[in-house]
Amino acid sequence: MATENRNKSGRIRKIVLFCVFSLLFVVTVPLIPYAIDAYAVAGNKASVEKVAALEHPAINLWNDVRQRNGRTQGLTQVQGVDSGVLINKAGEDWRRFRIEQLVPYGAWFMGGIFGAIVVYYLLKGTQMMPGGSTGVRIPRTSLNQRTAHWFTAGVFWLLAVTGLILLYGRFVLIPILGPEGFAATASACKEMHNLFGPLFVLAVVAMFVLFIKGNMFNFGDLKWFAKGGGMFGGHVSAGKFNAGEKTWFWLVMIFGTALCVSGLILVVAALGFGRETLSLSHMVHGISAVLLIAVSFGHIYLGTIGVEGTLDSMTTGSVDAAWAKAHHDQWYAEMTNDSDAVEAADQEQDSGLVEGGVAKPEAGT
Amino acid sequence: MARMKFYCDAERCIECNGCVTACKNENEVPWGVNRRRVVTIKDGEPGERSLSVACMHCSDAPCAAVCPVDCFYTTNDGIVLHDKDICIGCGYCFYACPFGAPQFPSDAAFASRGKMDKCTFCAGGPQVTHSSEEYTKYGANRVAEGKLPLCAEMCATKALLAGDADVLADIYRKRVVNRGASVMNWGVQYKKAGIDG
Repeated sequence: MATENRNKSGRIRKIVLFCVFSLLFVVTVPLIPYAIDAYAVAGNKASVEKVAALEHPAINLWNDVRQRNGRTQGLTQVQGVDSGVLINKAGEDWRRFRIEQLVPYGAWFMGGIFGAIVVYYLLKGTQMMPGGSTGVRIPRTSLNQRTAHWFTAGVFWLLAVTGLILLYGRFVLIPILGPEGFAATASACKEMHNLFGPLFVLAVVAMFVLFIKGNMFNFGDLKWFAKGGGMFGGHVSAGKFNAGEKTWFWLVMIFGTALCVSGLILVVAALGFGRETLSLSHMVHGISAVLLIAVSFGHIYLGTIGVEGTLDSMTTGSVDAAWAKAHHDQWYAEMTNDSDAVEAADQEQDSGLVEGGVAKPEAGT
Repeated sequence: MARMKFYCDAERCIECNGCVTACKNENEVPWGVNRRRVVTIKDGEPGERSLSVACMHCSDAPCAAVCPVDCFYTTNDGIVLHDKDICIGCGYCFYACPFGAPQFPSDAAFASRGKMDKCTFCAGGPQVTHSSEEYTKYGANRVAEGKLPLCAEMCATKALLAGDADVLADIYRKRVVNRGASVMNWGVQYKKAGIDG
């Protein structure tokens, strides 16, 4: 029995490691062109300077328009978005943000969080339920909550993957698929992102309505933060949701709302939003998306391989009593006091707990 | 190697929109798309100036830098062109461009952007030169015929110039010397203007 368990957990760990390294590979590949580019810049500098030395006769004129705080808004016979604007000053800021900050820092941030999780997992492994499974189930989430969760997760990942392809595809996928192949992929991603994007508004609203109860911060959460959420050992006390889960909830609410608002503006751009509004929306959208994607790695890790038994609350809707006692002791106390059914079940398993208590240390070693 | 450029002389442009019309006619651009436009600053006030604006065919084009599918390329003449078969109509080039050159037909589903269209310096596109496909997608290819863009060729006051940057710089320098004034700064001093301009 014990060896079987060990073989099984070893195989799971192998699969997990494989997934982790292949994902790590995907995350780090976008950075390679930057390394190559930085290496090549030194060689190209001379030729770039040569081209730039040819002065366009209009340079002074356009610099006058742009730099002397001259009026850039004029009149034109041509009907169109911003067609009366002589020069778009916001364009350069947006371009620099996208090329010099969002793309490289986004990759480092998402890759960094991912790497930190991998290192943590390799050092600590899965956090098992103390004393092992009791077999007693405590209801944790309703069917509505689970549906909202997986709906949100599905929409989020569809949008995250299509969005990341649009952000990093030029550097990662063009060398693999070729320009035409990637154009088809990117076009599909853009359409999916635009068409399914509005569903994320529904998802955020549903999550807010169904999960707001229990997700308000209280003083106990400060203690939880002070102890690092038990990441470095020690017991942390928590109610139905611990401070980490609450933080994730509020991050999703705040940045999810930012994503929805900025995304809707970008989707209906044809209604006539100006470039300054659109480029600002794009900045908000990019920062929020990168942040939520990076933090979602942590959420997914803790919900699956990070902590044994957590996934149950989002699949079956009930959790093991041992899990509840270990991670949400205050909630466990509430549940066991309030609910007769749970109490009855608790007594029923008392005899079983002794057996489990003896059997588990073997499996753990 | 030539570097093709546009230059619009603000002292000469009379906002007749002849360049806009010439461009639309020559390239048969779709409804709602204007590759070129004339912008008037301080309309009706002292110091009123008009400029004809289209793609300026930048050496270090911001549109090409931000394009997620890398559909832009620069020809040997320094003309910035793009491939409509690769463009996905995301609109990033429009955000980045200082001159508002990229245009989008908005007749696609849900009012989303169609493929980007912009001034080609009358140099067509990546398709076979003078093929009907090239004409439908990108408009005329006058450069291949040894001609300059029609907007500049049609300009009645010769305000809008198109051609090799060095030649344009020479023409402009002569004009400035003859006018005895710099553009957008002191205004025109016609009394001091030479007669051989």
